[in-house]
Amino acid sequence: MERRTFLKILGLASLFGTGMLRSLFAAEGPVVVVAEGRDYEKVTVRALSALGGMKRFVKPGDTVVVKPNIGWDRRPEQAATTHPLVVRAVAAGALAAGAKKVKVFDRTCNDARRCYVNSGMEAALKGMRGVELKHIEDERFRKVRLNGRSLREWELYDEALSANVLINVPVAKHHGLTGLTLGLKNIMGVMGGNRGSVHRHIDGALADINAVLKSTLTIIDATRILTAHGPQGGDLSDVKILNKVIASTDIVAADAYATTLFGLKPENVGTTVAAYRRGLGEMNISRMRIVRA
Amino acid sequence: MTAMKLKKISLPRFCQLLFLLLFLALFVMTEYRGNDRVSLAVNSFFRSDPLLAACYLLAEKSFTVLLLPAALVVLFTLALGRFFCGWICPLGTVLDLVTTRVRKTAPLKFLQGNVKYWLLLPLLGAALFNVNLAGVLDPLAILVRALTFSLYPLLGDTVRQGWVGLYRIMGDGRDVLAPGYAMIRDYVLPFRETFYPLAFLSLAMFLGILFLERYETRAWCRRLCPLGTLLGMIARFSPLHRIPATLCPDCGDCRSFCPTSFDGEALQREECIRCMECRLRCRFQRIGFRFAPSGRVEPCLPERRVLLGGLVSGFFLARLFRFRLPDAQARVLRPPGVRNEQEFLRKCVRCGECMKVCLKNALYPALFQTGLEGIYTPLLMPRLGYCEYSCTLCGQVCPTGAIPDLPVEAKRREVIGKAVIDRNHCLPYARNVNCIVCEEHCPMPGKAIRAETEKVTGEDGRPTILRKPYVVAELCIGCGICENVCPIEGKSAIEVFAVKDRTPLVAHAGSTGTPKDSPYP
Repeated sequence: MERRTFLKILGLASLFGTGMLRSLFAAEGPVVVVAEGRDYEKVTVRALSALGGMKRFVKPGDTVVVKPNIGWDRRPEQAATTHPLVVRAVAAGALAAGAKKVKVFDRTCNDARRCYVNSGMEAALKGMRGVELKHIEDERFRKVRLNGRSLREWELYDEALSANVLINVPVAKHHGLTGLTLGLKNIMGVMGGNRGSVHRHIDGALADINAVLKSTLTIIDATRILTAHGPQGGDLSDVKILNKVIASTDIVAADAYATTLFGLKPENVGTTVAAYRRGLGEMNISRMRIVRA
Repeated sequence: MTAMKLKKISLPRFCQLLFLLLFLALFVMTEYRGNDRVSLAVNSFFRSDPLLAACYLLAEKSFTVLLLPAALVVLFTLALGRFFCGWICPLGTVLDLVTTRVRKTAPLKFLQGNVKYWLLLPLLGAALFNVNLAGVLDPLAILVRALTFSLYPLLGDTVRQGWVGLYRIMGDGRDVLAPGYAMIRDYVLPFRETFYPLAFLSLAMFLGILFLERYETRAWCRRLCPLGTLLGMIARFSPLHRIPATLCPDCGDCRSFCPTSFDGEALQREECIRCMECRLRCRFQRIGFRFAPSGRVEPCLPERRVLLGGLVSGFFLARLFRFRLPDAQARVLRPPGVRNEQEFLRKCVRCGECMKVCLKNALYPALFQTGLEGIYTPLLMPRLGYCEYSCTLCGQVCPTGAIPDLPVEAKRREVIGKAVIDRNHCLPYARNVNCIVCEEHCPMPGKAIRAETEKVTGEDGRPTILRKPYVVAELCIGCGICENVCPIEGKSAIEVFAVKDRTPLVAHAGSTGTPKDSPYP
């Protein structure tokens, strides 16, 4: 190759690298669907179809993992766990799109049995053929090299890693350390080991994990949100009913938008900022396409 | 031979097996299975146990309706004799099942005579002086503890290890077998394997009782068992007599059929367990059991010497083992709802039920932490397991109400202890890094752990906002989840300490919602 050609290519390449591409396709920023309504199953279905329908993400024969927040022994109206009807609609959608199996699980903080029962998850998913609501089994965690800036490696849940499609279904709520807990933090539910120890550099650690374990789809349950005393709450006066479901293929965008529901700005939440800086998605609301459904 | 035996199973033996199965079924059901209430638990057996009832009465000096079934057993014993031992007692049934496979040597001399009274009377005496040790030697408690602390965890761990082993070999291919395993896991196995202190002692007591079968049949029942001895004392009043009362001169086979009472020529009335073996197996069908007024009222109690000695040693037992190490006391955390230590020691019968049912395996048997008199009483060890905020199971299964059965709203306000932060270990204080995992897990709706923010220079040299946790003691119930989840290795940086004043928190002002008007499934 001639030196001149080489330099030309290098010059052009650097143009692309420094954000030419990003500004070139600015209009094509991530789509964030905001669906609203009182029937949470229907709202979720509407949000999904506005994104192009579940068939866009789930191919026939796929194994789909739906990862809600079932972390606490709280009832649905207390807004500490994902609403079971939202999860039910997501699981049903995946099945209808031809999923072979839909696995639903979370590594809980309180007793797993109580969490699964009192969150309403067991009742909501009962009798759905092809849907497994499973307790975490320790032997399924395996060490994964993350080579991240905060975490070199960590134990992640094998079923989440090996799934064809990972649908992240967090509930939007307050959190004492990270300000809010949304899609990025919900992925903590597939982490093994001593999770508490990552709290010292939680924003970077979550970016590291989300960079390796990518959510195909993030559906944030904001049907009711917990505005204080999170992540467990317990007091209904801290709960605000919004009847909204946010959906996006861009986890950072979904989180950033959900932040505004609390009257906060995306840059107020360290987790979102760290993920954005890591290039995991868009956090500027102005660069997103917000679709109401 | 075996087939013949099976065919001809008699009513008493059938009844025994039925109660043993019931006992095991209730044992397995003493666990959270998706419902806030456990309707059936092994505590039905404990509540029908006259020894536990007697010790409770003596210690607490009042009666509780919980123990009504035990009063019924006493009434039936007055009428029928020691039928409990021959028809119901699951430990007795276990002995009957193994004894045929144990070759006998001669009975142990030193166990004969008054030894059993020397066990029973000090127990009753200690109870009178406010220390309820009944459960230590109660046969049902011995069986439940051997199961809870040793055999059940062993079973669970073995099966689970096998299941994990299959995963190592088959990987996800194991999922084919998952439905079968799920059945066993959900209905038979303990939810999680916990190993307990005193596991060895609990098993050794049980195996020791089995070992005694080497010397004679039902050696424990006739020579030692305090429950059997108590029932035997009541049985002397029973008008149900065996006829003939002595061995027949021309046969004497009864001596070999009888598991307990033909030491001499005459049937020992307080030891006959009404097993009916003699009647069922008599070649001449001479034997019957008839109701008739007792001809001769036998003395109900043993010699005065033994009676007094027993009571006095009970007094010593209750007083001389009072010594307690003060620093161990700081960590004596009782199950939720227990407000007074002395009252608890009077009521707790050490049956192990609360430890069996505890959702997070937070309760463990005490060894010496509460003095020797507190052996086998339940202690909360938060680093191993915490008290689940909305769970009330231990109160539900306690047969004597030593742990009160509280509605969940009330239980959430019961104080077990108070959390204390150790700033020398706590990360934000000791190392200027963020953590507050304790605050995150605190279940109180208003948070009993809060954090103050402070601008500091972080690990990377850049200014960061540090959240430093502190405990709001007025809101803390000492559930111990903070101590349980503290991510520091080994010793936790936040620990729950016992407090004397366990007045429950005032009712929570905010709305916690009622499940009734919940529109959700």
